[in-house]
Amino acid sequence: MSTQNMTETPMVEIKNVHKSFGDLKVLKGIDLTVDRGKIVSIIGSSGSGKSTLLRSVNHLEVIDEGTILLDGVQVNRPDMKGLAFERHINHIRQNMGMVFQHFNLFPHLSTLDNVTLAPRKLKGMDRKTARELGMEYLERVGLAAKAEVFPSHLSGGQKQRVAIARALAMQPKVMLFDEATSALDPELVEEVNLVMRSLAKEHMTMLIVTHEMAFARDVSDWAMFMDGGVVVEEGPPDKFFTNPDHERTRSFLKKHLDSNH
Amino acid sequence: MELDFSPVLTYLPTLISGVGVTFVIAVVVGLFSVVGGLLVAVISIYTNKVVSWPLRFFIWLFMTTPLLLQLYFLYFGLGEWILIPALVVGVLGLGFHYMAYNADIFIATIRSITNGQYEASRSLGFGHLRTLYYIIVPQAFIRSVPQIGNNLILMVKDTSVLSAIGVAELVYASQYAISVSFRPFEFFIVIAVIYYVINLFMEFGQSRLERLTAYRR
Repeated sequence: MSTQNMTETPMVEIKNVHKSFGDLKVLKGIDLTVDRGKIVSIIGSSGSGKSTLLRSVNHLEVIDEGTILLDGVQVNRPDMKGLAFERHINHIRQNMGMVFQHFNLFPHLSTLDNVTLAPRKLKGMDRKTARELGMEYLERVGLAAKAEVFPSHLSGGQKQRVAIARALAMQPKVMLFDEATSALDPELVEEVNLVMRSLAKEHMTMLIVTHEMAFARDVSDWAMFMDGGVVVEEGPPDKFFTNPDHERTRSFLKKHLDSNH
Repeated sequence: MELDFSPVLTYLPTLISGVGVTFVIAVVVGLFSVVGGLLVAVISIYTNKVVSWPLRFFIWLFMTTPLLLQLYFLYFGLGEWILIPALVVGVLGLGFHYMAYNADIFIATIRSITNGQYEASRSLGFGHLRTLYYIIVPQAFIRSVPQIGNNLILMVKDTSVLSAIGVAELVYASQYAISVSFRPFEFFIVIAVIYYVINLFMEFGQSRLERLTAYRR
């Protein structure tokens, strides 16, 4: 975002990122800066490259060109190979929480174990401390009562809330949401949005890929519209959602605000 | 024809020791084939072709030839060079045979775990190996319970094939008793019942394990 604060390192910096799948260019030179405690929404139709961009930040997609920095540390390191890079990226990822469209809870673990597995195994937290921490985060997403339940017995909205708690339990510097509510029945969307709003209130830095225009307008500090692998338009939500500069943004928003009401 | 079960009683100790040998073979081969099958599956999926192709060939070889022939090859073939006790050959042969079948199942179930599980684990900061260990393999194992259970039941029955190379398991033990008592049917009926009871317990264990893991799938 353009609100520059020269003394502070931005939380996420994306510089000139390119990515192709075979002959298909998906990202064609994307730049984005997310300052500490800010929330940026990325919108666009499917195939615009928005999910690929978000996944690139977590290195689930390997970019071909450009740099991505998390809190001043470079995420992609073309100079590093093999085990050294594996160690580097594992460490980086511990500072990023990722929430997926299809939740991806671990079905063989209870709700609580889903939340505590990473703190226990990656941070060496003992069972008791991890349990307290896990319960604290389940409490925050309103699911402390479901601690011993397995994912197969949770609704979609509950699964996604557990997935958010699982990511939060690593106490990440930034949260990445990849269409977190797209796979949910309409009546379950709000409970997940509520959790995301509460994170926004606590000034968690967030990068949100979403189809929920009303929600994006409400929570974001900055909005970005992507199409065909490029950023068409970006700006503060007030202007972006009410009076965008570009015709493409306008027609996209019109289509989506109508269908979303 | 009159059935007379009194020789069975006379040779009960022989049969019991046969059951004991069958039991030991089944437990060792069971562990060996399940753990080995899992390792073969993981290695053949997650390594390069230099390693995985010989493993695939091994699986294919053991699945497309008869168990009896494999045992003959191991026992008489290797016997040309080294003397290995029949029991050891039997355990290895049966073990490799079922290791191949189990590996085939584990390969299918590991592949059935969606990539999202792998990505979710990696995004938390788990490395590749830890993701396999904590996330992928446990889930694949749970999904494999019904089929691995079936394989183990087949395996217990196939321990009888080891009688062909002189391993003193249940069938071999009864053959000895038959040869001195001349009452084949009585012995065949009794050992059939013994196998049936063993498998009844195994089926019970299998369905219990399936029920215990159903909600974790």
